[in-house]
Amino acid sequence: MTATGEELYQQREQRFNDIVALKKPDHVPVIAHTIHYFADKVKGFSQREAGYNHKQHYDAIKDVTVEFGWEFVPTNALFAADGYQALGTTQLRWPGGDLPDDVGFQFVEDEYMLAEEYDEFLADPNGFTLTKIFPRIASNLAGFGQVPIPPLFWMANTYYLLNVGGAILGAPPLRKAIESLLAMSDAVGAYFAADAANAQEMAALGYPRTWGAPIVCAFDMVSDMFRSLRGSTLDMYRYPDKLLATIDLMQQAQIGLARMVMQITGNPRVFIPMHRGAGGFMSDEQFEKFYWPTFKGLVLAIIEAGGVPCPLFEGDYTPRLKYLAELPPGKVASHFDKVDRKKFKEILGDKMCFWGNIAPSVLCTGTPQQVKDDVKELIDLFGDTGTLILDCGLGVPDEAKPENMLALREAADEYGVF
Amino acid sequence: MSNELTDAIVNMHEEEALGLVKRMLDAGTAPTQVLEQAKEGMTELGRRFECEEAFIPELIMGGEIMRGISEELKPHLKGSGAGEKRGTVVIGTVKGDIHDIGKDIVVMMLDINGYEVHDLGIDVPQETFVEAIKEHKPEVVGLSGLLTLAFDSMKGTVDAISAAGLRDQVKIMVGGAPADQQVQDYTGSDGWGSDVTAALKLADAWTAGEAR
Repeated sequence: MTATGEELYQQREQRFNDIVALKKPDHVPVIAHTIHYFADKVKGFSQREAGYNHKQHYDAIKDVTVEFGWEFVPTNALFAADGYQALGTTQLRWPGGDLPDDVGFQFVEDEYMLAEEYDEFLADPNGFTLTKIFPRIASNLAGFGQVPIPPLFWMANTYYLLNVGGAILGAPPLRKAIESLLAMSDAVGAYFAADAANAQEMAALGYPRTWGAPIVCAFDMVSDMFRSLRGSTLDMYRYPDKLLATIDLMQQAQIGLARMVMQITGNPRVFIPMHRGAGGFMSDEQFEKFYWPTFKGLVLAIIEAGGVPCPLFEGDYTPRLKYLAELPPGKVASHFDKVDRKKFKEILGDKMCFWGNIAPSVLCTGTPQQVKDDVKELIDLFGDTGTLILDCGLGVPDEAKPENMLALREAADEYGVF
Repeated sequence: MSNELTDAIVNMHEEEALGLVKRMLDAGTAPTQVLEQAKEGMTELGRRFECEEAFIPELIMGGEIMRGISEELKPHLKGSGAGEKRGTVVIGTVKGDIHDIGKDIVVMMLDINGYEVHDLGIDVPQETFVEAIKEHKPEVVGLSGLLTLAFDSMKGTVDAISAAGLRDQVKIMVGGAPADQQVQDYTGSDGWGSDVTAALKLADAWTAGEAR
């Protein structure tokens, strides 16, 4: 008898949870962690269409999920391009903005907060974000930096709210900024509707969604979003105390956000994209001081809130495996880009499942046989415990060859049934 | 060879290094000698990076200290001419990809190690690489990329260099986080690397015997 969608959904959730909990499943699943443009490319849609035509994009994701035999529907990591457009976003470039139609969106790393602004940010993070950061990341929000906005508590009574607030709100640059925020919200609303419809449809078909929302480790938040790699690196030497104080502040924000998104999405799996903690990016000493404590704290907070932390270790985290051994066993769904898989097995094989690690280069430019050989090597290594989930190192590459993605599934069936 | 300035750079003592440069110039040390000692510091950082005793923060901070020293020395170095160059490199992030962090670190270290580097920037069309090779006649071409779309752009660039009849004149390296042997083979390039050490090693090997 064929299982119903609901039964499949439960079986797949259970299989995933078992693997995370270090229990041997009946077979090795293929679960694509994240998706950007792969589905659109398979269907012949441009990257530009993918960003604007949300339903078409989600329908394409549905089709490839079924066609390529993934057991979960990968979370769409592509956001609403009309949302970027409404804001006049400058922190990202996207097709439909100033990138060609056939190129995917890309983040523009820059010093959105300057080194000399740490004190100002720490003294008033909300005010600083509104008046300094927003204008720097979106041209249509420039008004927040052009009209002098007093601290909100100055207007914490009817008289000043009317006299000061009322006067300021009439200023055209501020009006434009507020209207842009509302337009962004409208655009994103349509995107969220398509997103929710997809989650519901996929659940009915038996596919859980991989993760609910991304939460960024505190150091990466400062480095990626505020100070850039160069800035955050120089700060380690020039302003270590201010950097640490900001990391602490970010940590509170990320833990708060993690709890919030678990509630909003109803998905216990929290994606943590891991960037600057990779091997080569800092010394062990720097890692222990600036990175590890907040990452560990975030992981523990998510577990405590009933969630499953899903860190995706971008770059080569082999030198950090010894730290991961400190995390509670059987609680973390760790996903790897490049890592020495044998060392992982040796150090963490009895503490953590292994997800990912198939090279994007092979999926994009290799042959189906190369993919099968790599899957076989993974299953040979992890088959004894079965605590393995197959996927590319970084989710589905946009340029992956469809025949290679099919080979991944076929190899799982061939070698991974226990 | 160890000296105070080299040590200050290697140990990330920015203010001390800049203070030392001023004192050395005041005491009549030849600016070219100051520059040589400073470069020795960066070379040592590069060596430590290779054996995993130093990491990207040290290279970035070292580069920042070097920038300060170069500014201090600039007025004193006029007309004295740069030392012999080790080789010429044309480098850029390939078409479609706008990432530059890794490339910039490679450019900095090549420059400090005596290469004449022509950095074409990001999102560089294949024709621009071809033109730059004709103009600068490099021994080495570096193609950088972070995204998987870069694989085809790299391959297209190598093909364009071949089509222009320039393939025999240059060695081509592909680099960036996703680069590996597979990408080298696919693109038809001569070497690959995912960090700055690999880029330097390839460039050194390909320019061995050239003037240094």
